[in-house]
Amino acid sequence: MKRGLWAIGVLLFVLFLSGCGARSELEKQAFVVTIGLDKGEEEHQIEVTFQVANPQVNTTQGAEAQNEKPSDTFTITADDLLSAKELAQSSLSREMTFSHLQTIIVGEDLAQDNLFHRIISSAMIDPEMRREAIMMVSKEPAQEFINANRPTMETRPHKYYEFMEDSWRETGYVPISNLNIFFQRTDGELFLAAYATAQRDPKHGVDEDAFLAGEVPQKGGDPVQIIGSAVMHSGKMVGKLNGEETRIAQLLRYHNLIKTMTASFPDPNNEEYRITVIMNQKSHTRIKVNTDQSPLKIEVEVPVRVQINSNLSLVDYTTSKKKRDHLKKSIEKDMEKASDSLIDKLQEEFVGEPFVWYAHARKDFWTAKDYVDYNWGQKFKDAQVDISYDVTIINYGEQLRPPTLEKLDKED
Amino acid sequence: MGDFLKRLFEGAGGDQQASANDVPKDPFSTNLDDNGKRLEELFLFPLNDALKFRELTTQSGQRVKVLFVTGAADTDKISDYVIKPLLNSETEGKQGLTDEIMNHVLTISGTEKISDFQAAVLKLINGNTVILIDGEKEGIAVETAGFESRQVAEPTREIVIKGPKNAFVESNDINHSLIRRQVKDHRLVSETAMVGVESPQKISILYLDHIVDRELVKKVKDEIDQIDKAAILTLSELEELLEERPYSLIPSTLSTERPDRAASFLNEGHVVLLMDNSPDALIAPVTFWALFHTAEDQFLRWAYGNFARIIRTIALFLALLMPAIYVAVVTFHPELIPTDLLLAIAASRERVPFPTLLELLLMEITFEILREAGIRVPAPLGSTIGIVGALILGQAAVQANLVSPLLVVVIAITGLASFAIPDIGLSVMTRIIRFIFIAAAFFMGFVGIALAATAMLAYAASLKSFGVPFFAPLSPHMPSSRDLFLRPILKKQWLRPLSMRPRDAIRAKPKGRSGS
Repeated sequence: MKRGLWAIGVLLFVLFLSGCGARSELEKQAFVVTIGLDKGEEEHQIEVTFQVANPQVNTTQGAEAQNEKPSDTFTITADDLLSAKELAQSSLSREMTFSHLQTIIVGEDLAQDNLFHRIISSAMIDPEMRREAIMMVSKEPAQEFINANRPTMETRPHKYYEFMEDSWRETGYVPISNLNIFFQRTDGELFLAAYATAQRDPKHGVDEDAFLAGEVPQKGGDPVQIIGSAVMHSGKMVGKLNGEETRIAQLLRYHNLIKTMTASFPDPNNEEYRITVIMNQKSHTRIKVNTDQSPLKIEVEVPVRVQINSNLSLVDYTTSKKKRDHLKKSIEKDMEKASDSLIDKLQEEFVGEPFVWYAHARKDFWTAKDYVDYNWGQKFKDAQVDISYDVTIINYGEQLRPPTLEKLDKED
Repeated sequence: MGDFLKRLFEGAGGDQQASANDVPKDPFSTNLDDNGKRLEELFLFPLNDALKFRELTTQSGQRVKVLFVTGAADTDKISDYVIKPLLNSETEGKQGLTDEIMNHVLTISGTEKISDFQAAVLKLINGNTVILIDGEKEGIAVETAGFESRQVAEPTREIVIKGPKNAFVESNDINHSLIRRQVKDHRLVSETAMVGVESPQKISILYLDHIVDRELVKKVKDEIDQIDKAAILTLSELEELLEERPYSLIPSTLSTERPDRAASFLNEGHVVLLMDNSPDALIAPVTFWALFHTAEDQFLRWAYGNFARIIRTIALFLALLMPAIYVAVVTFHPELIPTDLLLAIAASRERVPFPTLLELLLMEITFEILREAGIRVPAPLGSTIGIVGALILGQAAVQANLVSPLLVVVIAITGLASFAIPDIGLSVMTRIIRFIFIAAAFFMGFVGIALAATAMLAYAASLKSFGVPFFAPLSPHMPSSRDLFLRPILKKQWLRPLSMRPRDAIRAKPKGRSGS
């Protein structure tokens, strides 16, 4: 009996020693939901902007605090993220934690710097950092972006980014970019990060979706626009893709993360108007990579299902097979053209591709060393890429045929 | 010192009368008056007015004494079937007067010859009537037991919507009849054993002879024989005496108040114990499944019964783990919950002065008090408990910033889930183990919960009740009909669980198509 008590005593003692350190009450913690990273004024220093959620605003009625802001935003200059976190404690009463950190915004200046990769890699040592945090690149310094972002609907900041990420899956204008994917693609592959800005610079006369953040013609609303992507190579930003190019980049992947996207094409049967379609993919994109050939040969076939959404020209596609085929061909041609120009751009400007095609090439090699020696990025630069689209029109909208305006005109 | 204690206790017991079992086995004398006097002394007459006797003379002038104990015997029966025939009898000059009266005079079914005082006392306290005849060395015991008993009523603990609605009552005979009504099998054996040194009580051991494991019956009987206690009033007391581990949280017997449940256990090779004064039957051995199942699972259709079981499984885990998970998440792993919920909890805890554990324990203990009070409260005050409970737990505590509103939800769900657990043993066990889990979660978060769960599962799996492992036939795995977490359709339940070592494992030969 005595022995048993001893054993229990020792066990409890061990439990006390091991467990209690990590325990802390919720109300004593400050939950950081957004981090902004910028280049500091000194060399090798960064400015870290923390946005801390205030639990007393818009959560439960009982605890509602009037006249408090939904979040507290402040910037600390330090050598790295973790020391900034420590320094922030000098003004913040609660213990700061990254356990609900959802968004990391990197100023473009820092993203283009060699320092960035080091900063973010060393920050991952903190077990609190979540790898599913979204990574975005902002055109202006991140602190300006965070301070300017005041969405009306989502007063709580974490909700805004959560909903935005959901909407990216529906539009495809923005790649799904989180820290986990970033760390997977730091060896010569290209990583696409969402590109955002709070500065408007509207561009008119652009073809529908070929915008970069800030260029979308918009009046009123939240100043922030997130569209297009920042291209990162070996953890360093090397260029940008606009909304249209980003979309195509999603389609060319084997596994497309975008559920549906709406796009418009010139109507082949009436050049005055454009026809808007909803696209989705039922099966995976077929990718054939032949590493034996020189130059490298890549064949890609993208199956796309298309649903006519708005048909401004009122051409009756339902009854005419000829017109339908015409439309199908025209969409395929259009998309192939856009894809080819994206490939050209990638091959000219960057070393590598963001489509995860390397995964298809890598399986042709026996050892990792063979693959590294092959130098995929450089080989891709000279590769011969054939892209073809296979469009299936699945329906023509809710109505069987478009309304005949001529009839209406006669009645007037 | 030892001597002193011995003397002390002996001294204290010095005045005691010999208990029923200690009554000397002296034979009756031929003198009727002597015999009567001796019995009067044994029953402490005239101090004790329990023993009644009636002296009468038959038609032929033979003196006869009729003795019985008030309250135990049915006086109507005695006057109609014993006294009346005796008064009218003509027994003059016949040889073997005792046999003559037994065989030709008494118009009652149960009679027995007795020849010593011990037997006479035992018979009398069990409600029998003893007839002593002048000049004879033997008396007659007549079964006239007439203990008051209530009518067979509906079960109060194991309530079902569909299925038989009678429950055991305090009378052993009625309980026997309720079981016999369910199990129409001539091989249903009812053995009798006595427990209690001072006031012996009959215990009936029921089993189906062609199914039950003989070893098991022997084990149960041995256990009963080993009980050495002055008086055992109810089966619940016996339950604890039979248990191998009285300190363990996990019960090793099950008491049911439903004859149909007792019958179904008999059919699986369990032993059922019945006892006078106990409105339930004791089932041994018992497994987790017996505690987890209800009678209704089999009465409802396959899908409905299994749905109920799934809900009950969820309820069991919620009742065990919900508060512990709350503590673990809130104090160790805030990253596990959605940000919205996290901020809501943090906000509601903002003005609560206690740490999460204290807050939780405060509510848990309040709830347990409420529950205990709810059972003890007199029925007319019952509604007050509801109002006070709802007010304390729901509104006032939150408004007074004693607890956060979310915690009230956690406690409410836990409480509700614990009410869904059918057996009281299992239910109380769950409530106690919950506190162990809370402590584990407080020290080490989810790691603590996992460790505690492992330790407890290992302990439960190692337990045996009368030689049957607690989780059998799931673990250790043995052939059975797999009536475990879910039940198969009745047609497929043709095999008795082999963990019970039944002598006849097959319930009914499966027909050709039942394998489909």
